[in-house]
Amino acid sequence: YVYSRPPPWSDTLPTIFVITPTYTRPVQKAELTRLANTFLHVQNLHWVVVEDSPRRTNLVSNLLEKAGLNFTHLNVETPKSLKLGLSWIPSHTPRGTLQRNLGLHWLRDSFSNSAPPEGVVYFADDDNTYSLELFEEMRYTRRVSVWPVAFVGGLRYESPKVSPAGKVVGWKTVFDPNRPFAIDMAGFAISIKLILEKPHASFKLEGVKGGYQETSLLKDLVTMDGLEPKAANCTKVLVWHTRTERPTLVNEGKRGFTDPRVEV
Amino acid sequence: NEELWVQSVLEMPKRRDILAIVLIVLPWTLLITVWHQSTIAPLLAVHKDDGGDSQRDLAAGLDSKEYCLSERDIVEVVRTEYVYTRPPPWSDTLPTIHVVTPTYSRPVQKAELTRLANTLLHVPNLHWILVEDAQRRTPLITRLLRDTGLNYTHLNVETPRNYKLRGDMRDPRIPRGTMQRNLALRWLRETFNKNNSQPGIVYFADDDNTYSLELFEEMRSTRKVSVWPVAFVGGLRYEAPKVNAAGKVYGWKTVFDPHRPFAIDMAGFAVNLRLILQRSQAYFKLRGVKGGYQESSLLRELVTLSDLEPKAANCTKILVWHTRTEKPVLVNEGKKGFTDPNVEI
Repeated sequence: YVYSRPPPWSDTLPTIFVITPTYTRPVQKAELTRLANTFLHVQNLHWVVVEDSPRRTNLVSNLLEKAGLNFTHLNVETPKSLKLGLSWIPSHTPRGTLQRNLGLHWLRDSFSNSAPPEGVVYFADDDNTYSLELFEEMRYTRRVSVWPVAFVGGLRYESPKVSPAGKVVGWKTVFDPNRPFAIDMAGFAISIKLILEKPHASFKLEGVKGGYQETSLLKDLVTMDGLEPKAANCTKVLVWHTRTERPTLVNEGKRGFTDPRVEV
Repeated sequence: NEELWVQSVLEMPKRRDILAIVLIVLPWTLLITVWHQSTIAPLLAVHKDDGGDSQRDLAAGLDSKEYCLSERDIVEVVRTEYVYTRPPPWSDTLPTIHVVTPTYSRPVQKAELTRLANTLLHVPNLHWILVEDAQRRTPLITRLLRDTGLNYTHLNVETPRNYKLRGDMRDPRIPRGTMQRNLALRWLRETFNKNNSQPGIVYFADDDNTYSLELFEEMRSTRKVSVWPVAFVGGLRYEAPKVNAAGKVYGWKTVFDPHRPFAIDMAGFAVNLRLILQRSQAYFKLRGVKGGYQESSLLRELVTLSDLEPKAANCTKILVWHTRTEKPVLVNEGKKGFTDPNVEI
């Protein structure tokens, strides 16, 4: 017996396409490493990593090759004007938007609407924390499934409101609960079939108010009563919106102390 | 052999005998041919492709060895089955890695331990010693440990509060995690007999760092104390031991106090269990330890600089990162709490 990582692919299990935008900064390799360590437990997972960069970097390429996961490596650079944002315009392009849209575009290019694969799309940022249970909850999504997310909206968690009949009827949030979809990026998954059926549904690039990015995509895909609540009718927390501190590199000084060829 | 025998037999002239012999031999040759094909062919058909193709097709996990077959060969078929279990099956030959993790209750605790467990679940022969800084072992940790499936020991010891300060201030003179790590060392000494040599390695892994899987395989071969670089400590991209051409540690590449006896982070070394059991009085010093000297307070009782074993390609690769997690903003909970406190995060 040889231990296999990830688990062997199954012909009958729906595929989970995880789209992760990522960008170069000191903790990038650490984040992607521990994320990969989680994904390596999930059967039939296909990781779509989209770098915010003009070219695919060696760091990410090598990491993906070594990990052993089923993956697709893309890149698209957010134009500097969009990154900086013009401070006098109240909206901005949230980070990761172009990258997530490219991931959706790749899916639509790779699979045909006439024979859609069984599976879901999930947007997983590289600094969040995901339980293994979450992936099994989302695997059998018919249209769009939703669940609670910890550490968003200034709360311990935000969550959909689920009626006794098991339908989503609102949002348990303090910040703008009347948004059409008051839910974090990590709180929903979309069936591939639906993505392919609605080829023009994407995240809006500009003019998006804070907290409305998810809505900008979901409104073209589903209505509130079509949502499928997961995680025990949205009573369990299976994903946490963690954020990693920026490391202090003050002792590197002006010229750098450590060897720049050693990859961190 | 059958062919030769049949040939010599067929040279005999009697027709009746020839017919009888053919009728006996024919079914046997047919039978042997069919049996031969049915066992070999399926294994040859399922072939796991190990090329650099990123779109790796993970077919149902059978591997096969191809042989040049002639009817005379007796073929031995070796089937390698790829299994995934969580954690990997225990091995009788690998030294056990005892991972000591102090932990304390705060909002991100469950998230940290979840992603740490997801990493540890790939490492064979790993024993997780989780030590809570708490008066009692909490249900959250108890449930989490049980649900992972890991081999574990659940301990707890509370760092005394400093009553002179207001609020829930622990004694600031005791570095965080010290009593918990020491409790684990004591547990190991009480549990394992230094004469009964069950090979093991002890590693101190804080719950917010990031560990590569490669790191655990590097430390498994530790004879006394092994060391390697750690990212994001000492105000640098990484700190690393200085290793000479002979492969010996002779100093420390740090900006902060490089003349400490062991200028290394907690995550940058592992100790052979035998050494822990032999030097049974070696513990982390509780009080009066200058910042950055906690590791030295233990290591100086265990080993000298020249005894250190450099890992990670003679300390040129980063396999562990001292990441820290931001405290989440919970301002919208308000005074009375908005979310259901019964929902565990």
